Amino acid sequence: MKIFLTDGTTTGFYTAVFDSYRENGAVITSRKNMQLAFDTEIVNVAADAEKATRVRNKLDKLDRYAAGDVDLALRSDDSLKEQTSFEYIKLIVKSGRAVRRQLSVPAVIEMSEIIGRVTGELHKMKGFLRFMETESGALYAPYAPDNDITDLIAPHFKARFGQQRFAVHDVKRKKAALCDGKTWFMAEVGDADIYISEYEKIFEDLWRKYYVSVNIGERPHEKQMKGYMPVRYWKFLPEKNGFYDDKT
Amino acid sequence: MLDADTLSILTESAKYDVSCSSSGSKRANGKGGLGNASVGGICHSFTPDGRCISLLKILMSNECVYDCAYCPNRLSSNVKRASITPDEICNLTINFYKRNYIEGLFLSSAVSGSPNRTMELLTETAIKLRKQYNFNGYIHIKGIPHADEALALKAARYADRMSYNIELPSERSLKLLAPQKTKDSLVSPMKRLRAAILCDRENAARRGALLPAGQTTQMIIGASPESDGQILRLTEYLYRHMGLKRVYYSSYIPVVRSPLLPSVPAGLLREHRLYQADWLIRFYGFDVNELCGEGENLDTDLDPKCAWALKNMHLFPVEINSAPPEMLLRVPGIGAKGAYKITEARRFCRLDFDNLSKMHIVLKRAKHFITCKGKFYGAEGNAARAALLIAGRSDSGECNQQLSLFSDRENAVSALTGEL
Ligand code: SF4
Repeated sequence: MKIFLTDGTTTGFYTAVFDSYRENGAVITSRKNMQLAFDTEIVNVAADAEKATRVRNKLDKLDRYAAGDVDLALRSDDSLKEQTSFEYIKLIVKSGRAVRRQLSVPAVIEMSEIIGRVTGELHKMKGFLRFMETESGALYAPYAPDNDITDLIAPHFKARFGQQRFAVHDVKRKKAALCDGKTWFMAEVGDADIYISEYEKIFEDLWRKYYVSVNIGERPHEKQMKGYMPVRYWKFLPEKNGFYDDKT
Repeated sequence: MLDADTLSILTESAKYDVSCSSSGSKRANGKGGLGNASVGGICHSFTPDGRCISLLKILMSNECVYDCAYCPNRLSSNVKRASITPDEICNLTINFYKRNYIEGLFLSSAVSGSPNRTMELLTETAIKLRKQYNFNGYIHIKGIPHADEALALKAARYADRMSYNIELPSERSLKLLAPQKTKDSLVSPMKRLRAAILCDRENAARRGALLPAGQTTQMIIGASPESDGQILRLTEYLYRHMGLKRVYYSSYIPVVRSPLLPSVPAGLLREHRLYQADWLIRFYGFDVNELCGEGENLDTDLDPKCAWALKNMHLFPVEINSAPPEMLLRVPGIGAKGAYKITEARRFCRLDFDNLSKMHIVLKRAKHFITCKGKFYGAEGNAARAALLIAGRSDSGECNQQLSLFSDRENAVSALTGEL
């Protein structure tokens, strides 16, 4: 069996599709720490824009929304994301047309589940992201989503905030969407030096107070709360921790 | 700036208002403005009772001149009183919104001074938020009974949603428990707003500007003797004739001691069954008469769709590969999403039982009511009934008070909406 190891980029993925297409049972992944069987051979894929474009063009002709599906899937933290996308593309090529509505076919089911987890988290984060006001009046939201969604969530806040300056910072992937009040763009951001406004604590405390007072104590149901709002997200929610306290 | 105690007092009692949803509006942000509304609604947090926080729910004041028996803020009650100003509310809303704590504001009030004065203050706050603070997020305003209808119409121009709470499921109970509120003081402004919304929707230039997310209402379940059948008939009337977007049920909790009121809580299972029936009426084409007789209550052991299906076994099993979508929706265990997946998938190939389980269609209940390529995998008649009761029991656990009812994923979604 041959494993095509990519650099994790979209171009790398499409290059791997190009290189491996004629191989039987080839696997594409960007995971470096895989358990390998004896007979596996690793092929390191060098991202190649030309090869990638050729695959894209072919795919676009068969289904012009397929590349959008692949783009969403490749943002996932699922270790099988490349392989699932690969199977999906192979099915489109084999069928000669879009397959997304064939909801009983395993390759389609798996693809739509990966995509569903990405868009699901995107929707949740529209609610769970928390901004802090900085001394200069900009809004800053650090978070650590499971999937790579920062450039997808930025337009939502751009539409809401109008001329307000803001940053959405994925601290896990060390990247951020930055908006100067007119346009927004993505940038690599490691550790950010943020000076939080002196008023921040007042509003965080009021919010915590509100959170406590709207709870109906007679009806505890923690399990449901955690189902909707997984514990791994709590680190960034003022109502669930004192995380920002030590900074001010 | 608003202090923490005032905030506690004014939000504590607003929490029993269950309509937290921020959905149904798609207001866009304007130039230099802050906020917009998202059609699907967004939950910003969840409290330890498992409920979603979407809006800042707050009372303008809890000083009340009325004396509703069930209400902790009634005139004769001995609670701490507080009020805040429109500017304080605007400020808090804007600052919470900027931090992405909330989708917007749900503003209500006790009847403080007079109904007109109270309604004026609520309206003033909405206008300030929109005009002075340039806020385009979600605003829900509670209608104050007996206030001038012109004031309600004015508020409707700035709010996304308004609600007059029916409070109790019959006029008799209303008279007994909320003597100053009359049926007319609640229903007549609802009708006025309904007429205004219809007129607004027809006017091409202004389309959708008035209460884009419509009207809702709420009633307390279990504080008075009405049956589920009566409640659901009222519900159906409110949807079909008053054009309401949602009817909310709030299971009675004894916060106040009164000889007129039961001393035990009504339990969440009943509320949950009502939401399920409500869902069937709104989205699955069920008629209230199919679900529950006038003086009857819903089955507690079975969800209303299961109960209906068992009474109508002559209609089942249906063939998954050919049943019309509206019939698929009537199969216990198959919801809107499942029916959609099936109708899409079967255009390409005939589905068998294995296909369905791979598609994550939940078959625990459904298998007793369907065939796949002519094959039946369920139990028949009484055996099916027994199997469903057992399936139902594992969901409801100790039921009533402690809801392990909502513990699995399937039921968790249903817990918020009653979706079946
Ligand atoms: S009108 Fe009735 S329900 Fe409303 S605050 Fe006053 S006493 Fe309570």
